[in-house]
Amino acid sequence: MANWGMVIDLDKCVGCQACSLACKAENNVPHGSPYDHKRHHDIYWHKVIAAWEGEYPAVNTQIIPMPCMHCDHPPCVNVCPSKATYKRSDGIVMQNFRRCIGCRYCIVACPYGARNFNFRDQVDKEYQRPDLPEDLGLSNEGHIGPWPYPHRTRGVVEKCTYCFHRIDQALENGEEVGSKLDGKHGVLPACVEACPTEARFFGNLDDPDSAVSKLLASRSFIKLREEMQTEPKTIYLPR
Amino acid sequence: MSQAATEKPNSPEPKRSKGFHISRRAFLGVSGGVAATILAVILALKRPKLAEPIETQTKSVLASQDWIATSCLNCPTRCAIQVRRVRTTAGQTKIVRILGNSASTYSEGKCCSRSHVGLQVLYNPDRFPHPLVRKAGTEKGRAVDYENDFEEEDWGGALDRIAERLTSPDRLLILQGLNTTSNEDLIRQFALAYGTPNVFNEEGLETDADRGGKMLADGQPDSGYELVAEDGTSTKYILAFSSGIVESERPLARNLRLWGKIRRELPNKTRVVSFDPRYSVTASRADEWVPINPGTEGALAMAIAHVILSEGLQDSHFVNDYTDGFDTFSAVARTQMFSPESVSEISSVPADTIRRIAREFAQSKPAVAWSGEAATSWPFGTLASHAIYCLNALVGSIDVPGGLVYQQYPPYAAMPTEGLPISNTGITFRKMADLLRDGAIDIAIGFNSNLIMSVPESRGRGKWDETLKKLFYVHVGPAKSEMASYADIILPACTYLEDWGYESAIPGSGYAESRIKQPVIESLYDSRPTARILFDLASRKSLPGFSPVLSTPEAFAEDFAKYRTSPLMGWDDFCSTGVWKGSSYSYRNYSFATGSGRFEFHSDHLERLLQVGLPGESTEYPLRLAIYRPVLEIRSGSQNFPWAQEMYLVMHGRGWKNLVEINHETAHEHGIGEGSKVIVQSVHGEIEGEARVVEGMQPGVVAIATGQGHYASGEFADGIGCNPMDVMYTEYDEESGQPSFFNTRVRILKA
Repeated sequence: MANWGMVIDLDKCVGCQACSLACKAENNVPHGSPYDHKRHHDIYWHKVIAAWEGEYPAVNTQIIPMPCMHCDHPPCVNVCPSKATYKRSDGIVMQNFRRCIGCRYCIVACPYGARNFNFRDQVDKEYQRPDLPEDLGLSNEGHIGPWPYPHRTRGVVEKCTYCFHRIDQALENGEEVGSKLDGKHGVLPACVEACPTEARFFGNLDDPDSAVSKLLASRSFIKLREEMQTEPKTIYLPR
Repeated sequence: MSQAATEKPNSPEPKRSKGFHISRRAFLGVSGGVAATILAVILALKRPKLAEPIETQTKSVLASQDWIATSCLNCPTRCAIQVRRVRTTAGQTKIVRILGNSASTYSEGKCCSRSHVGLQVLYNPDRFPHPLVRKAGTEKGRAVDYENDFEEEDWGGALDRIAERLTSPDRLLILQGLNTTSNEDLIRQFALAYGTPNVFNEEGLETDADRGGKMLADGQPDSGYELVAEDGTSTKYILAFSSGIVESERPLARNLRLWGKIRRELPNKTRVVSFDPRYSVTASRADEWVPINPGTEGALAMAIAHVILSEGLQDSHFVNDYTDGFDTFSAVARTQMFSPESVSEISSVPADTIRRIAREFAQSKPAVAWSGEAATSWPFGTLASHAIYCLNALVGSIDVPGGLVYQQYPPYAAMPTEGLPISNTGITFRKMADLLRDGAIDIAIGFNSNLIMSVPESRGRGKWDETLKKLFYVHVGPAKSEMASYADIILPACTYLEDWGYESAIPGSGYAESRIKQPVIESLYDSRPTARILFDLASRKSLPGFSPVLSTPEAFAEDFAKYRTSPLMGWDDFCSTGVWKGSSYSYRNYSFATGSGRFEFHSDHLERLLQVGLPGESTEYPLRLAIYRPVLEIRSGSQNFPWAQEMYLVMHGRGWKNLVEINHETAHEHGIGEGSKVIVQSVHGEIEGEARVVEGMQPGVVAIATGQGHYASGEFADGIGCNPMDVMYTEYDEESGQPSFFNTRVRILKA
């Protein structure tokens, strides 16, 4: 079984947000409004944050793309009272909409702000994907899982899934999954696929031949909030 | 527990009702049960309901899907894209995804974030469903009410009304916003056939001065920064003069892709130095940010030339063999006025830093000096652009791999001109403004025009508001926009995702690339391709030049694209791959279209570059206003796209607004805190915004992102942020006539 992880090169990333937009399109994430934005009610499975440091003229801004970290020791899973969030055997931390009772413990527990709460029902005119392939035949370990997305429900938590549906479908079809250093990539999560600077890589962290393993071996890397021992699998290559 | 409560059960004769007896235990049990039932009911009611049983939801609704090759038009880069179209079992057809087209080597199959927003351009809720004609007596501009000010008209009627108005060619003005290359060709053709010289291309508002300065030197309008050549040679050193290479500088998607390459994928990482008053995304990604006073980029370029020439670091081979006027230029550059010490005083860059960067620049080859809009949008903008461009010549980066290359264009079939002379370069902004001011124009037709949002003095006492109100204006565009609010007739054109056409690669790659534009979905509304609108107008005026490739008006857009691209490749192949690529670029042709046939160094008036008004010089308006264009400013004139809105300013983590960004020292002096409401005032007017106090800003500079401040674009754009153009006043670049957007002094007050 693979151990999926993502590597993001902060030296290449220029904060263009193609990843965030590709994610919104792929996963049918509803857009917010100025009202939602003010109250942090808008939903992003992926967002790009900027952290300012230093004083004029010696300033430094880190632009950090933030998907879910898909921790090896996910605190959200520990606190979930209804087992709505769980870790798959391939390491992807999932959220089952149907089990979620909306207590939001996981949102509090997550040190990365990766989780979102549906404060309202998605209205029809917001962007929808009528096509969502609900019958991908996903082996989702007995759970119905987070599909289908077209009908969201107020009162549940949702989050990044590393585009598990693309990965599972590719594996079922016998296609390759993950980035390649020569540019001939296999199936990738939407954000990785869309990155115009190719700052993002996806693959099996347990496979020494995968692009992600090679990158981690070639450079120093950082894991966000490592001191919390969450063991994130979204790993950054600093500038 | 209180005493009363403990004593109550033991009291000798507790009060009892005679008819109904219930023990305390039973009461608690029953009430507990009732409470639990109510709770359960509440929970059951509030529990998220599934719209349908799970079994039906998990049934596939996807009947078929395909990817269609076409091209983007959310900025002038016009990338090749592919669009995923799905059909559901219920018969619904929808576009759900946009990605780069891997057949395009120009941006290596990548597209930037703007392309993804295309879905919302297509499904914009504020598109025009029918042609509209203004009712008599309604007010134009800000007070527009699309519901009540206009009445529906059929296409024939609307076009007849326009044709009636077309009486004298000289009195027609054509405004050209961001249009498909093929539509641009047709618009020029239409103007030519009708006989009007008055075509104004709004792209010139940003690029005329920059292009003018470069053309002074090499006579070529289409030089571009290559970054990485096809053979893998990459630029080794980039001097970015207020240029947002990874933020707004065209070609954006190519820049982004190659940025990843030059920073990490190729051996020897490219060093990037950013001179910029603002800590832009590019500055933050660069190796070094050198804050400068706005407008001193040209002077700084001359100081760098001073160091290179004084120390003999220039590329003698190129300078001796292929240039003209070098000796005079060298003499002027080496004068005391351009010494690093002198320039240091106005630019605020230490002389040592200038020296070091000049040496690094001259000694890392190939190196390029990249002039941005903020460096050239000044009254001396052409000269500044020229000075910066000359640095490239000094280090021999002209027409070499990884340096500056001259863009080639696809060999399209000749325009069906029927003997019309082909020469229509359009008019400058200054000329256009003069024509309108003098009342020399009766009717204007704007194709996706965004004029009112992108010119200075647009509001308040502004002349543009008044001028446009007086004009008979026809707006051709798919959706609500500020220009449409001034329209007498609105013709709903297709969006680029419903249109036929072709696009040419803009300067950057050297080699030519052509991309198809084909409808990915049937027109959502009663909208028509721009090509057909022009054709119908031309037929009504019996203009020549619109017949040889014709079949029918309905098929004109497609047939025109097919005809023009016929020399490239087979039409079906072109439709399926979407991209045609020209032969590899051949370097070192040095074919300069100047009088001398050489690269010309101009040294007249260079001292003008030193006459920059610095922040603080005026006590009344002590600050300098700088604008910038964030990556998610969609360049088609509307910002009615929630995805672009909610991630608008990545450096500040803010969406749905723009901010008045100032340095913390300046903010402190003015008593302004983070997030406070402020008023930015100039002699021309004032705007209100939210202050953002940052460290990454030259003191004395106020920076505001463009792209907001809409008032007639629709529900996701109106009333959000402010438009910095509203406080700008018009000064022209002395050579090119481009308005100098960066030459406005302001003061800032607490609201």
